[in-house]
Amino acid sequence: MQPILKVNLTSGEISEYIIPAEWEGDYLGGASLAARLLYAFLTRDLDPVSPESPLLFLNGPLSGTSGPTVGRFVVCGKSPATGLWAESNCGGFWGPELRFCGYDGMWITGKAEKPVYLWLNDGRLEVRNARAVWGKDTYESQSIIKNEIDLPGAHVLTIGPAGENGVLFAGLYCDHGRAAGRTGLGAVAGSKNLKAIAVKGTKKIPLARPELYVPLRSSANRALKEDNLSHVFHELGTANVVDYADYLGAMPKKYFHSGIFSGAEKVSGSTMAETILAGTSACHACVIACGRVVRLEDGEKRKGPEYETIVSFGPNLLNDDLAAITRLGELCDRYGMDTISAGGTLGLAFYLFEKGIINKKNTDGLVLRWGDVKTIEQLLHMTAHRQGIGEFLAQGSKRFGQHFGAEEEAVQVNGLELAYHDPRAFSGMALVYATSPRGACHNQSQYFEVDIGQVDPGLGLEFFDRQAGAEKAANVARHQDWSTVFNALVMCIFANVSVETVVRLINTACGLDWGVEDLFAAGERAWNLKRAINNRLGLTRENDRLPKALLEPYQDGGSAGYVPPITEMLEAYYVARGWDPETGKPTREKLQSLGLGDVATDLWG
Amino acid sequence: MAAIFPSLEWLEGLSEKLNSDAKYGQIARNWEGDICFVLEPSGPLTEELLYYLDLWHGKCRKTEILKDLSSVQPKFVFTATYDNASRVMKGELDPMQAMMTRKLQVHGSMAYIMRNVPVVLDFIRCAREATTEILS
Repeated sequence: MQPILKVNLTSGEISEYIIPAEWEGDYLGGASLAARLLYAFLTRDLDPVSPESPLLFLNGPLSGTSGPTVGRFVVCGKSPATGLWAESNCGGFWGPELRFCGYDGMWITGKAEKPVYLWLNDGRLEVRNARAVWGKDTYESQSIIKNEIDLPGAHVLTIGPAGENGVLFAGLYCDHGRAAGRTGLGAVAGSKNLKAIAVKGTKKIPLARPELYVPLRSSANRALKEDNLSHVFHELGTANVVDYADYLGAMPKKYFHSGIFSGAEKVSGSTMAETILAGTSACHACVIACGRVVRLEDGEKRKGPEYETIVSFGPNLLNDDLAAITRLGELCDRYGMDTISAGGTLGLAFYLFEKGIINKKNTDGLVLRWGDVKTIEQLLHMTAHRQGIGEFLAQGSKRFGQHFGAEEEAVQVNGLELAYHDPRAFSGMALVYATSPRGACHNQSQYFEVDIGQVDPGLGLEFFDRQAGAEKAANVARHQDWSTVFNALVMCIFANVSVETVVRLINTACGLDWGVEDLFAAGERAWNLKRAINNRLGLTRENDRLPKALLEPYQDGGSAGYVPPITEMLEAYYVARGWDPETGKPTREKLQSLGLGDVATDLWG
Repeated sequence: MAAIFPSLEWLEGLSEKLNSDAKYGQIARNWEGDICFVLEPSGPLTEELLYYLDLWHGKCRKTEILKDLSSVQPKFVFTATYDNASRVMKGELDPMQAMMTRKLQVHGSMAYIMRNVPVVLDFIRCAREATTEILS
């Protein structure tokens, strides 16, 4: 791989870091390699928003090579929301452009005296004054910085006011509304007075066997473009699944407390396609183009919402107005706030208001009525600026619940709000949420796809009923390992690319001669490393849990009457993982078998 | 009447089933569109078969075994090998799963399909119930 550019914003020191070759081989890149690189620096007493806290932007070995959906990069560090491992990957064009500069990553530490942005033009880095964009939203900031740079093809990754104000679910945004939204790394950037990073490069990305990679990339892209799922994502975006998820009872409504919502079909990808859709958008070299471009009543084209945003501000809050959801999603993007966590935290507030646990005295006089778009919008403004009740909303649902004595009502795991794939409909997601290294995350394994039958035979996964129990634990672990490979590459999880093709892409790009099981081993190694990082940060078996709401059955809808048997599932999962059932730590033997002897010594002495 | 899948008798039996099944009639009451199943040769099936059904508001208005698609322009064309189609008919393969894993190719609006998942699933239920034997 290419070097990583290290920047200390306190001292102004800039240096190149050469990635140890053995780590490239063991971890490939992306979030996996980032875990290895940051392992020693993520300590329990590290304040995530201190100057010492690292912020690592990293590509994978395929990023920017125009392979099938490989235009992504990842941001990693210690999460201010969870206090645990943080990773959040992002599409668009920024990651590939960084590679075109001759660097596979940027590793930021320190804190600038005043707000700055970084401008990397091929190998030349400038630290620039960000006075003109501090306080501006992410869309304005991208536009202003591009104008300042005045170089066509530059891409800007930025935080918004939420990151500046330390909102714990602030993210980083590029290429209009492409988001590294989860785990609050926008707040880490804000704490460093780092507003943005602009990149423009002209170099060629190195490939080990280009004569093999290039034709393979072409055939893989052609096959992907013809795939049924690609057609679905292209026509309907990620919200294609709304109708089906609603049918299965998998799409949460009323903050995970109702199995039905009559307005669900009004907010589906199909409805969007038939009403406000005006076009599509794609990340770098992507043949799917799942991004939505919509036109609302003002006639302007704008980013359309994807599945998570639709559910977050739609059924989750009992709102069936697709145009309003679009605007609420845009508001979050502009402020630089994760829509999953924003909607999740607001959902808790609405739920507690309905229960009488909070009232108008707590909400600055606002009445929180389900589906009231004006109130939702006002709360988002207050959250981004940490005004009134927004001060508590800005800290996420766990802390919001704690503040009002109702932490158990918060639908989160380890401080990260759940994505909108209900484990009462897809039991595999119970284990995914409970054991994910970054909290309740769906991108560490989209096991709900397996639970509805999207199983590539090459993965070696069995098919179990979507509401089966402990028998699927080993399956979930294997799928997590595979997803970890995707997060290392960094490859989009919506790509229905065969396992054999992924193996060949990696081999030809990296000069390896791996088989499928070698990839699984790399995935398992990184999964255990992230677990060990979290163990060192204080995570124990007690952290592997589901929130109360998910252990209560729905009374109606497509998954009524079922709750996942999480205790039995976790027991089977620890066995499958080779983890100590008492502490939840990977055993010494497991770590040593994965080549993590140093980590075994750290965890077990 | 023995209804062996795939056969003309089976297609006619499926039509009768769709027109008499109250549940299907209710679920598919808003469905508008004709469909064609293309069964590609595999296993015991040695030649391609094209089965056409005109489905409208919970009823089947017409069926036909086609030689090719030159005479019709169905709203949807579903294409699968016989082996995969028979697995769907036996209940071994979920139709949505088949679509997502490239075992069942779809030509037509996926927006319409995803909006009408219950119709698709209930159509398959009727097809299974109209089948007494599967060619093996």
